[in-house]
Amino acid sequence: MAEQQKCILCDIIREVIPAKKFYEDDDIICILDFNGANAGHSFILPKEHIPILEQIPNFLVGKLFNTANKVSSAIFDVLKVQGTNIFVSNGVAAGQKVAHALVQVIPRMENDGVQLSWPPKQLTEEEMSTVELKLKDEIGRIGFGKEAGQKANAPAAKKAPQPIEEAEGEENYLVRQMERIP
Amino acid sequence: MAQQEMSEEQIKELQEKIKNMSPEELREFQKKQCIFCQIILGKVQSKKIYEDDKSIAIMDINPANPGHVLLLPKEHYAIMPQLSEEEIAHIFMVAKTISNACLRALGVTGTNILVQNGVAAGQRAQHFMVHIIPRKENDGVPFQLPQKEVPEAALEQVRKKLESHLGMQPAKGHAGMKAWTAKPAEPKGRSAAAGFPEMLKNKLISSINEAQDEEIPGEKIAGPSEQEKKIIKSSEQEKKIIESSDPDKASDEAAAEKMLLNHEKKNARESWKSRRSGKEGEEKIKKAPGKKRGGKEADINLDDIARLLGS
Repeated sequence: MAEQQKCILCDIIREVIPAKKFYEDDDIICILDFNGANAGHSFILPKEHIPILEQIPNFLVGKLFNTANKVSSAIFDVLKVQGTNIFVSNGVAAGQKVAHALVQVIPRMENDGVQLSWPPKQLTEEEMSTVELKLKDEIGRIGFGKEAGQKANAPAAKKAPQPIEEAEGEENYLVRQMERIP
Repeated sequence: MAQQEMSEEQIKELQEKIKNMSPEELREFQKKQCIFCQIILGKVQSKKIYEDDKSIAIMDINPANPGHVLLLPKEHYAIMPQLSEEEIAHIFMVAKTISNACLRALGVTGTNILVQNGVAAGQRAQHFMVHIIPRKENDGVPFQLPQKEVPEAALEQVRKKLESHLGMQPAKGHAGMKAWTAKPAEPKGRSAAAGFPEMLKNKLISSINEAQDEEIPGEKIAGPSEQEKKIIKSSEQEKKIIESSDPDKASDEAAAEKMLLNHEKKNARESWKSRRSGKEGEEKIKKAPGKKRGGKEADINLDDIARLLGS
């Protein structure tokens, strides 16, 4: 609780601090950044105070990124930008500034001063293999493989109604998008 | 390269061919052209670190940092809005796990998760992907987000546009959060329950039963979102029905409806809460063997990252 009281984003959620909120439901809230990289720079955050992404339950991760996707599409349509980045900074080293996990949606245009590309680092074959093995091992240890397997066995009922809704609403958008594809 | 050597006529011919293709054919054609689809099919070599029925994770050959991972859906999608909600949820659940693995295994103090939608955003491949980039202090990765001053009025305009475009209900108080955290008003509920329309009562009972049934068969991972959605949708429909029915009954039924809604909401909340705590328990069990193998440091690592942020 003490943590929560210090958190500026929790204050925004509790409406102690005013913010440019454009969506809210039981679990998440979407606001605009006052000093964004571009106009329309949005934050999608869980209402519960969770410091880093890894601590967010899976269903909420799904909801966060699905909302990010919708916001990204909305930004495309409304602001007529040329692209969007969906960006998560996890930890101070990665540029996280507030101890409240959030997903950023950043509208992009050519030469807008946003730098989210990188010069490739040259690694030796050995370095690559070491990293590969470490990660493989760790993913196995966390036990995700098992989790995914169970999910595959889950009832197929969920799948049925989804595509129809998507296809109709997104059709126009997709056609337009096709032209933007590199 | 091959395309550049083609004559204009050939290019036109090809464009014509693409125009006339059915969506299935087009998808096939894209797959053949896409290097990542070839990787997924195993025709091009890669360093694969994770694979399931929907997604695959490989090491980036042009990494921003050691341990830079590309996470791809197996199906060929050029852009994110083509993915279904379920696929997005799955992909990012995997992304979270890989990010977690990076933090634990590589001794880094952070990760970036990045999606590039469109050329201007840095997208180069025609296959949707998620980048997971391990980060350390002063690692030379030149990510920069400038802070621009946007006039208040312009920002408010953007906000209004987004709000209306998203078509999600306008932001209203914190009813949901309150319903979740507040203790249920039990005694009130009981007296009101006497006047409960029979149909709604049965619905309530069956919904509770359903929730209990659902919890048993390995639902722990899938999360409650589907059920919650159902409840929210159905309650919205019911609201409309009640509003349209005659006004005398409406007030009575509306009260009962409110009750039902609260019960259902509470029920959904509690079921995911219990599922969540159940899942955490499960995770602890899963972690346990890791600790024996010296995974204790990794656990501390995660907490450290959270603590660093707090300071």
